[in-house]
Amino acid sequence: MAVKIVTDTLSDITSDLAEELGITVVPLYVRFGETVYKDRVEITSEEFYKRLVSEANLPSTTQPTPNDFLQVYEALARETDEILVIVVSSGLSGTYQSATQAKEMVKGKCRIEIIDSLSVAMGMGLIVIAAVNAVKAGANLDEAADLVRRAIPRTHVAYLFETLKYLAKGGRIGKASGLLGSLLSVKPILTIKDGELAPLTRVRSLNAGLDYLCSYAAGFSNIEGLAVEHATNRDDADQLVERLGAVYPKESIYRSVISPVVGTYSGPTALAITILEGEKK
Amino acid sequence: MSETKTVAGQELRDMFSAAASWLEKSSAEIDALNVFPVPDGDTGTNMMLTMRSTMDEAYRAPDHSAAGIAHAMARGALMGARGNSGVILSQIWRGLAQGLEEKEDFTAADLAAAFQQSAQIAYKGVSNPVEGTMLTVMKDAAAAAQAEVDAGNEDIITVMEATVNAAAESVANTPKLLKVLLDAGVVDAGGQGVYTILEGALRYLRGETELMRLRKPQIIVSDLPHVVSQPQSIAIDEVPYGYCTEFLLKGEKLEPEIIKKRLLKKGESLIVVGDDSAVRIHIHTLTPGNILQFAAKLGTMHQVSIRNMDEQHQDFLEMQKERMPITDTAVIAVVAGDGLSEVFGSLGAAAVVHGGQTMNPSTKDILQVVEATFSDKVIILPNNKNIIATANQVQALTEKKIAVVPSRSIPQGIAALLAFDYEAEFNTNSEIMEKALSSVKTIEITRSIRATKINGLKIKRKQPIGLLDGELIAVGDTNLDVINQLLSRLDLEKSEVVTLYFGEDAVEEENEQINSSIAAQYPHLQVETIRGGQPHYSYIISIE
Repeated sequence: MAVKIVTDTLSDITSDLAEELGITVVPLYVRFGETVYKDRVEITSEEFYKRLVSEANLPSTTQPTPNDFLQVYEALARETDEILVIVVSSGLSGTYQSATQAKEMVKGKCRIEIIDSLSVAMGMGLIVIAAVNAVKAGANLDEAADLVRRAIPRTHVAYLFETLKYLAKGGRIGKASGLLGSLLSVKPILTIKDGELAPLTRVRSLNAGLDYLCSYAAGFSNIEGLAVEHATNRDDADQLVERLGAVYPKESIYRSVISPVVGTYSGPTALAITILEGEKK
Repeated sequence: MSETKTVAGQELRDMFSAAASWLEKSSAEIDALNVFPVPDGDTGTNMMLTMRSTMDEAYRAPDHSAAGIAHAMARGALMGARGNSGVILSQIWRGLAQGLEEKEDFTAADLAAAFQQSAQIAYKGVSNPVEGTMLTVMKDAAAAAQAEVDAGNEDIITVMEATVNAAAESVANTPKLLKVLLDAGVVDAGGQGVYTILEGALRYLRGETELMRLRKPQIIVSDLPHVVSQPQSIAIDEVPYGYCTEFLLKGEKLEPEIIKKRLLKKGESLIVVGDDSAVRIHIHTLTPGNILQFAAKLGTMHQVSIRNMDEQHQDFLEMQKERMPITDTAVIAVVAGDGLSEVFGSLGAAAVVHGGQTMNPSTKDILQVVEATFSDKVIILPNNKNIIATANQVQALTEKKIAVVPSRSIPQGIAALLAFDYEAEFNTNSEIMEKALSSVKTIEITRSIRATKINGLKIKRKQPIGLLDGELIAVGDTNLDVINQLLSRLDLEKSEVVTLYFGEDAVEEENEQINSSIAAQYPHLQVETIRGGQPHYSYIISIE
């Protein structure tokens, strides 16, 4: 029986892509005030960003419950005896906890392997895709898990936020706080380092930001997978994809939308570029 | 809803007992706010321990009248006061006790008057009261209580609500009054403590004890722009703090006022509070021995505590260092003008060397700042063509690794600093920063010091002149005129941001006029106006 793969919505894997890949995506929860929504099941990204701008209080996000994972495990256990779970960085969300707790509750012989991706967005999404491809090529659970673990250090994420405003509102988040306090309006560029948001640099214009993201991508000589994400600014992402064509075939670039968890800090205008480096031969 | 018009002694005790537990829940968070007067991070704990002692004594009070309970609270607070904040808190209870003197129970008006008394006594206990601390919060809270009573309100809960709201606003306002708070991006810890206690008391009066068990007090957040302090600059500002010396002096016929006067010049942050039988003394001094010798003549000393504050401060600095972004490289910049210094600081410059046009710093000036930074690797931004050579000499005089990124103007320096890459190695970073120099155009507007002819321009004395990337190419009758001439020479189609740094003598109307003129002519540009405070140059403008 083939290995089944599970991830969470912070992988930014769209529902269409999930269907195509044959994987299960467990949603996190987004809370506005008293109302809780399943991320991108009960609230669309468009709706999220609309409310992020209009509501006085910042939304918060919470991990899936152990029960959410348990139900997925149990359903999949009817079809397979090997499940590979790839979740968002434990430095950003407690999803890993829930996934692990649920594993303890599963009865039966199904083997479940849970991996902390130490990444987010399509940075983690690209790992998931690589795992799916390996399984399709016949990898068993141990082989697929091994492949994922080796891929983790080869994933790279760079975010360009239009403003520091939401980052400042959202409070201190790890090392990214180092960028706060600027008296000039700047657009921060951040990465994921050791599983947490960390600063890369700052720019003052969108063009300079796009330049940075392109040269960031160009800095990798061997790109296995590349994705571009936007919040509400699809046009900016189109422009970025166009320019990235010089580095990587445009038609192979995955497109997605930045998740609410990062969106809470980025605000409605943001771009992300994620890269899976090829393995050194 | 029924009104609560009077409160009896036992209820007074229970309400502040609930407030003490409420405070206890957030003492750790309050600790984290602490920066003033010394960032040692224990205000919340000190206030909590003081409140415990306060309430222990209240429960032991034989007299269950409001006056009796308040007196017991004041006594308990004085005996158990810890730290600066604890001592001030004990003064607040002392004022309350004085205000409720001889009361079996009390009304809203009594409470408001007692709070006023608390604020006054609290101010009196401190040798040099600082605004933006718990003193201010108590004063504002008391004033609101009084105003509510003056407006004819007799319901204690309503009066307490006004008190608590005013305290919250006052806490949020503390960073406006106290720069250390603003720099650290926090509200005053002691003020937060006072607010939490008052809020806890209010919740008790409202009957929310069940809710209080489940919830936690909120830490007030200021809506001011959050300026993250640079630990390196803390190091530069470092002053010796000496020893935090605290004890309780017991005796007969003690005179707190006279003791206070005698100790006034012996140290900082002096607090002397108490009565003729017990006085609590708190002082930051370099010579704790002298203080103790003096006190020993007056009575017996109890709960003596002497802590080395430099050690505490050092620990704090270490802690800050760990919180710093990952990079081991420090950037220092040569800047004239307080506004521009703040801009550089806010963008992560570790320190600023004061200087610029007509006031070039010496190599030694730069070297001193280089040596004072934590990092062993330092990038220098000279921001003036006449300072580049001076900066280049620093390397020969220090063990540290130095790179000079030859910025020739403030806008170039800022562009370079912005481009700093947190993940890059030292050499790569100085290359990236150097590359960024050309990403920005600099316009400088100043006035001619004499009549002259240059570059085919006829210039009268004191006439506004404009430089584009260091070259004098425009003269006009007004600053705006010169700016317009220079902008028209540039291809602005691909530019996005224009930043206007106005000088120390700039006039606000003119700033606005220039800002709106540029915005109107070039609608695709984002125009930002920022106070540079620089001498000589009316305007420094960056175009990127």
